[in-house]
Amino acid sequence: MSDVTLVDVTKRYGNVEACRGVNLQVADGEFVTLLGPSGCGKSTTLNMIAGLESVTAGDILIDGTRVNDFTPFERDVAMVFQQYALYPHMTVAENIGFPLRLHKRSKTETAARVHDVANLLELGPLLDRLPRELSGGQQQRVALGRAIIREPRIFLFDEPFSNLDAALRLRMRTEIKLLHARLGVTSIFVTHDQEEALSISDRIAVMRQGIVEQYGTPAEIYAAPTSTYVARFIGSPPMDILSGSLEQRDGSLYYVVGDAAFPISDSVWSSLDPATPVDLGIRSEYVHLTSVDDGTPATVQVVQPVGPSTVVTTAWNGGSLTARAPGMADIQPGTHVGLRLDPSKLLFFDRETGHRLR
Amino acid sequence: MANASNTVSGSLAHSALTTRSGTRRRLDSFLSDLGVRIGLAIFVVWTLAPVAWMVISSLLTPVSLTSLPPDLSPGQFTWMNYQGVLATGQSLLPAMRNSLIVSALTTSIALALGSAAAYAIARLETPGGNRLAVMVLATQMFPGIVIIIPLFIVLSRLGLIDTYAGLVLVYLSFVLPIVIWIMKGFFEAIPPDLERAAAIDGATTWQTFTRIVLPISLPPLFAAGIFAFIESWNEFMFAIVLTRLQTKTAPIAISEFAGQYQTAVGQMVAAATLASVPIIALALVFRSYILKGFAEGAIKG
Repeated sequence: MSDVTLVDVTKRYGNVEACRGVNLQVADGEFVTLLGPSGCGKSTTLNMIAGLESVTAGDILIDGTRVNDFTPFERDVAMVFQQYALYPHMTVAENIGFPLRLHKRSKTETAARVHDVANLLELGPLLDRLPRELSGGQQQRVALGRAIIREPRIFLFDEPFSNLDAALRLRMRTEIKLLHARLGVTSIFVTHDQEEALSISDRIAVMRQGIVEQYGTPAEIYAAPTSTYVARFIGSPPMDILSGSLEQRDGSLYYVVGDAAFPISDSVWSSLDPATPVDLGIRSEYVHLTSVDDGTPATVQVVQPVGPSTVVTTAWNGGSLTARAPGMADIQPGTHVGLRLDPSKLLFFDRETGHRLR
Repeated sequence: MANASNTVSGSLAHSALTTRSGTRRRLDSFLSDLGVRIGLAIFVVWTLAPVAWMVISSLLTPVSLTSLPPDLSPGQFTWMNYQGVLATGQSLLPAMRNSLIVSALTTSIALALGSAAAYAIARLETPGGNRLAVMVLATQMFPGIVIIIPLFIVLSRLGLIDTYAGLVLVYLSFVLPIVIWIMKGFFEAIPPDLERAAAIDGATTWQTFTRIVLPISLPPLFAAGIFAFIESWNEFMFAIVLTRLQTKTAPIAISEFAGQYQTAVGQMVAAATLASVPIIALALVFRSYILKGFAEGAIKG
C-alpha cells in the first residue's frame, strides 16, 4: 500500500525528450491510468516508475522516499507486460512462483502461495501447462498471478489487454477492477484505449508529447476536457470541435460555422473575450435532432446504430457535426434535419492555444 | 425467357471462369512445389554423393576400386579395409580420441565464453559493443594460413606445440567468433520484456542470463555447439603444423594413409568413414534441436 509522486520527471534519449517534466500524484490504493497515443511518453513514464529506465531529471517518490536509484526489486513494484512476458520454458506454476524461488523462499511456502494465487485467478487446472499451451487470456492471467504473488507495493500495467480480442478485453476490465477492489494495491495502468481508461480508472492522466495534458477523474476528463487535444482524444465518437465565429444577428448571439448559426446564451457571450477567436466543442449526446424548422438546418450523411443509441453524422455547407438519436433510430442518409445544441454543454476553446476558456 | 437464359449462361460462364482460374492456381502451386522438390533432390544428391562414394569405396577390394569402371558386383565387397585400419596400428583410434578431447574442449569453452560474450554485446550496455562484434567477425576475414607460421612460433615459445591446450586455443580463435555471432543473433531476437520481467521479479543480470535466457536458448546453443564441434573435428591445417605424435588428430591420421610410395586408398576411406561416425551420430541425436536452432531464430514471449 503506497503512494507515488512524480516531480518534474524528464527523460531524454540523446536529443529526444520522451517525457518533459511529468508531475503526477497517485494516492494510496488509487487506480491511475496513463492515457495517450503511441509516442506520448506514457510507457516511458511507467518504465521509469518501475525502475526499468533511468530518470534524466526530476524525482520519483514512493511513500515519500526518493527511489530514482533503486532497482525495480528494491522499489517493490510488480509489472504486467503487453506481451505477457511469461518465461516460455517454465510451467504456469513455475512462472507464478519464480519471484519467490528467486529469493529462496521455502518450497512449501512457494507452493502454498502459488496455489492461493492460482485459485484467485482460476488458474488451478492449468498449473502444469507451459505458456504456449495457454490462450491469450490465460497467459494474461498468469502474468497477473506472477505480479500478485509478490504482494508488491505497486502494480504497474503496460497495455496488458491490447493483445486480447475485444470480448476478452471487456471481461479483463471487469476482472482487473474486481481484483483491484479486493487487493486495494496502488495501480498505474498504461493504455492508448480511451474507453478502457474511462472504464477502469479512478483518475486518468492524459499525456501528449511527453507532458501530462490533463489529470482528473474519468467524469472530469470526459465532461470538462481542458484542451481540444483531450476533447478529441476522449469519447467515441470523439468530441466535435467547430471552428467558426461568434456573431450578433438581430439582437441575438450566434456561433456561426459556414451556413449554420447556433444560438448562444448571453452568459456565454459575456464570459468570452470577443477579440479571441474561439472553437466550439460539443459531445454528440448533446446534439439533438429535430425537424428542419425547429433547429439549425443540416443534412444527414451517415447513420451508425451502436445499440443504445444511433450516431448520426450531419453536415451543412461549411461544417459537420455528430448527433446522437436514442435507440436504433430509423433515419435515412439525405434527410434534412434541424440541430439543437444543449446550451449548458457547450465548451469553448482558445483557437490559438487549444485551452478551454469555459 | 431470353432474359433468364442469359442469366443462366452468364452464371455458367462465371463458374467456368472461376474453375479455370482455380485449376490454374492449383497447377501453379504444383509446379512451384515440383520445382522446389527437384531443387532439393539435386542438392541432396550433390551433398550425399561424395559421402556415399566414400562409404562404398571403403567396402571395396583394392582391385575393384581401382578398376575402371569400378567393379560393384556383390563379391567385391569386403570388411578388409576396416580390419586393416584397426589392425595396422596406424594410430586412427588414438587420433580419434585426441580429436574428441580437442573438439569437446573447444566446443564447451566456445559455448560458455561465446554465449556470455554474445549476451553482453546483444543486451548489456557494453562500451563499443557493436564495434567489438565487428572486430570479432573481422578475425574471420583472412585465411588461417597467413598466420600459421607466427602462430607456430608463438605456441612453441609457450611450449604449447603438440598439446591439447595449444590446439584448443587456436581452434577457439576461429570457432568463438562464429558462436558469438550465432548466439548474438538469437539473443537480439528475444523479446526484451522477458528480461525486464525478470528484473522486476528481482533477478540480477547473471540470474536473468542463467535462469531465463540460457534455458530458452538451448536450440541455438546446440546448433552453435554442433558447428563448433564439426569445425574442430575436421580441422587439418593447424593440426598438422601444431601437433606431433601426442595430440595428432583424426584428419592427420587419415592423411597418413597416403604414403610417399603408395596410398592405401581403401584403408584411407575406411578411416575417413570411421572418423565421420561421431559427427553423424551427434547430428542425428541433436537433430531436432539443431533444426530448431537454425530455423526458429526467436522465442516468442
